[in-house]
Amino acid sequence: MIRTSTPQIELRHLHRVFDRTHAVNDVSFEVYAGEVFGYIGPNGAGKTTSMRILATLDEPTAGDAFVDGFSVIDDPDRVRRRLGFMPDYFGTYENVNVTEYLDFFARAYGLVGQERLRAIGEVMDFTLLGTMAHKPINGLSKGMKQRLCLGRTMIHNPSVLILDEPAAGLDPRARIELREMIDRLAAAGKAILISSHILTELAEISHRVAIIEQGRLLAVGSVAEISSGVQTRGTARVRVLRDADKLAHWLAERRDISDLKLDGDLTTFSHAGNRESEAILLREIVEAGFPVIEFGAKHKSLEDVFLHVTEGRVQ
Amino acid sequence: MSFDATNLELAANPESPATSAGNPSRAALLWQSIERFLSRAGDWLNPILVKETRQAIKSSQFTITFVLVLAACWVATIAIVAWIGPRIFYSAEGSTLLAGYLSILAFPLIIVVPLASYRSLIAEREDNTYDLLSITTLRPRQIISGKLGSSIAQMAVYFSAIMPCLAFTYLLRGVDLPTIALVLTFMFFWSLGLSMVGILLATLTLQRFLQVLILVAFVAGLIYMFLMAIAMSGTLAYWGRDLWSPNGEAWYVIAALATAYFTTFALAYFAAAGMITFTSENRSTPLRLCMLIQCAAFIGWMSGAWIADDYAREAVFVLASMAGAYWYAMGTMLTAERPTVSQRVRRRLPQSFLGRIFLSWLNPGPGTGYMFVVANLTALAILCWIGMMASDILPTRLRTWPSFEELSYLLTIGWGYIVAYLGIGLLIVGTLRRFAFVTMLATVLIQFLLLLAGFGIPYAIKSMSLELRDADYSFLQITDPFFTLYHLLDGGSADGPVLVLIVPGVALCVLLLNMPRVVRELRIIREAAPQRVAQDEAELHPPPEALPQSPWDEPA
Repeated sequence: MIRTSTPQIELRHLHRVFDRTHAVNDVSFEVYAGEVFGYIGPNGAGKTTSMRILATLDEPTAGDAFVDGFSVIDDPDRVRRRLGFMPDYFGTYENVNVTEYLDFFARAYGLVGQERLRAIGEVMDFTLLGTMAHKPINGLSKGMKQRLCLGRTMIHNPSVLILDEPAAGLDPRARIELREMIDRLAAAGKAILISSHILTELAEISHRVAIIEQGRLLAVGSVAEISSGVQTRGTARVRVLRDADKLAHWLAERRDISDLKLDGDLTTFSHAGNRESEAILLREIVEAGFPVIEFGAKHKSLEDVFLHVTEGRVQ
Repeated sequence: MSFDATNLELAANPESPATSAGNPSRAALLWQSIERFLSRAGDWLNPILVKETRQAIKSSQFTITFVLVLAACWVATIAIVAWIGPRIFYSAEGSTLLAGYLSILAFPLIIVVPLASYRSLIAEREDNTYDLLSITTLRPRQIISGKLGSSIAQMAVYFSAIMPCLAFTYLLRGVDLPTIALVLTFMFFWSLGLSMVGILLATLTLQRFLQVLILVAFVAGLIYMFLMAIAMSGTLAYWGRDLWSPNGEAWYVIAALATAYFTTFALAYFAAAGMITFTSENRSTPLRLCMLIQCAAFIGWMSGAWIADDYAREAVFVLASMAGAYWYAMGTMLTAERPTVSQRVRRRLPQSFLGRIFLSWLNPGPGTGYMFVVANLTALAILCWIGMMASDILPTRLRTWPSFEELSYLLTIGWGYIVAYLGIGLLIVGTLRRFAFVTMLATVLIQFLLLLAGFGIPYAIKSMSLELRDADYSFLQITDPFFTLYHLLDGGSADGPVLVLIVPGVALCVLLLNMPRVVRELRIIREAAPQRVAQDEAELHPPPEALPQSPWDEPA
């Protein structure tokens, strides 16, 4: 990730009100070049609305958003040159094949001559759509359409990509391929804002995430940073060579342990604390003379954090 | 698989001779060079035109219509020739056949092409491609031009289908080439105008039920236009050659119609582009300029008519009535503009003292829009007044209607009504905007409802009152501009002095009440572009290198 002084994407106290619904309520965050920024929240949280504002498809009620330093309100044309937006729908034309589709968008972004042909070629190579060049779009599978849409999004080589649910409805292989493509785009220095419901995947590719609910931003940071700020109980398991029942009694006496379960030589329990406290606990178990052969702790995943931070409210 | 970008155009057509041959022949090389030239030329075409032409060629709608036109031409040829019979050898029957062919051509041109234009833009919204299109660097005017270009491309194909038939009509005699060209030009512009209307209608609303209503009305209108086109093109086919007579006044009519057509077309074009333009952009100034040009053209033609008609006051009356109605209609839309001026628009506001004095009325905003209408109405009233006085001085035939007095009342009181109604509407909308967001459509409706109330309420009271029912005119009807002006022109000049005091007086009061808003909008001044924008602008359009001005100057 390239942390430059100016962010590629900046939301500054963004508000969007539809009649009585405050879809986006004072949202502010920044995304830098080379960063993959996950944008997560339940349905109706305001993710798509903020993304549409960034893509110059909607106007904020208050506040502003900037792409590469240009306001989406006052300089939408400059924003559009720098931004690729992949919405959560395909948007395809009838009687058009893959090449013609990409050619149209390349022309629409003002690419001419060899520059246009090179852009189409690069996108075809990147998305592995070369074999489908003359296939009608309506005959493509969902995964192929999604690749094509990603290709369309990057046809003018934008420095900022906004991907709204790009992995929705894809099979596991297509998801892995999409993830690899996003990794490569980030490595090429592009700032990527991505929303997804598949939190495990988002956690893997995102450098930082923002959690939004009911239009309000609840947390921003890396998954570890957010996890550390969230007071949840972790789960751990200990397997000992012998004296498993004694270990269970020993653990039960501790105040920071609960939900204790003994299953043969394996003891599972939940505890309050972080990784450091887990290490202390392990040392104390060993010092107490228990022959530990396995110790594992399940750390808070993005899903855990998400479930803890959000309350599942929908506007 | 690695995609060969450099051969993209050829790859799109694997059967092209350049790729099928191992050693390219001279013909293949020629073909390649032609293809390269066309590819380069295609770079400068509107992307939407390219895409839609590609789509149209593959679409069944286009194929079916094209085949139907061809088949209909064949059937018509056989049927009309059979009907003419042996007369074909000695009688000039070209006009009969031309009228038949034009009726066939009218179907795709007047119904299919405009409807396809309407559907094309609506389908972009339905299929979610409009969002994708609007975030490209294509400007709204390019989108509208592309859609119009696509209509022209379709028309060209239909024209080419019917061209051999038209040549046949010429061979049969009875119709000359200029007449054929005139009729085809007429059909072309008719179809193009309707396509523009279709595109404008498609931009009006995103609500599905309103779109359905508009579609039904549009189709009904197209059917009516289709029947009109058949009748008019038939008339031109039979009597078009009469237009070529040197003293034909019809050319003046055609020129006046062409002026009205092109100015209205420009207005519709900028209105459609404005409807799909991002809200922070200045959508108002091009429309106001179009209105000015259209009004100036109308004044020009009416001045011509006034001179041609021996400086008669009727021409001044027609000018004042029609221009008044025009500016009222435009005023309802101009007062519906958003009261906020974006930073983007502020960067391009007139800066100099003179620029701010003369060009501020073109700035977006309901207050400046109102003043723009008032200024135009005032200028128009003064012009009509001068014309009216000239009609009295210059030698003219005896005219009895409208009298100098009647016409002067019409000008003063008509001006007052428009200024007052638009101003009251603006005050109401301004008050409503403090509590809620008022759309453009709502503002236009409020303006029309206000006028309707001013005309309807006194009418209802008069109808229900036994005393007033049979009375000719009473001051109860003072809010009714139609009845009041009719009364003044129909021998009611006695009430003129009172009305001249009341109506323009109220108008001036309303104008004064609106002045704070107007001043507020005029106080918005030009703002410098942010540094980031200036930097980007400098990168996009670097200043030209300074050239040496004299032999002693150092090169840059």
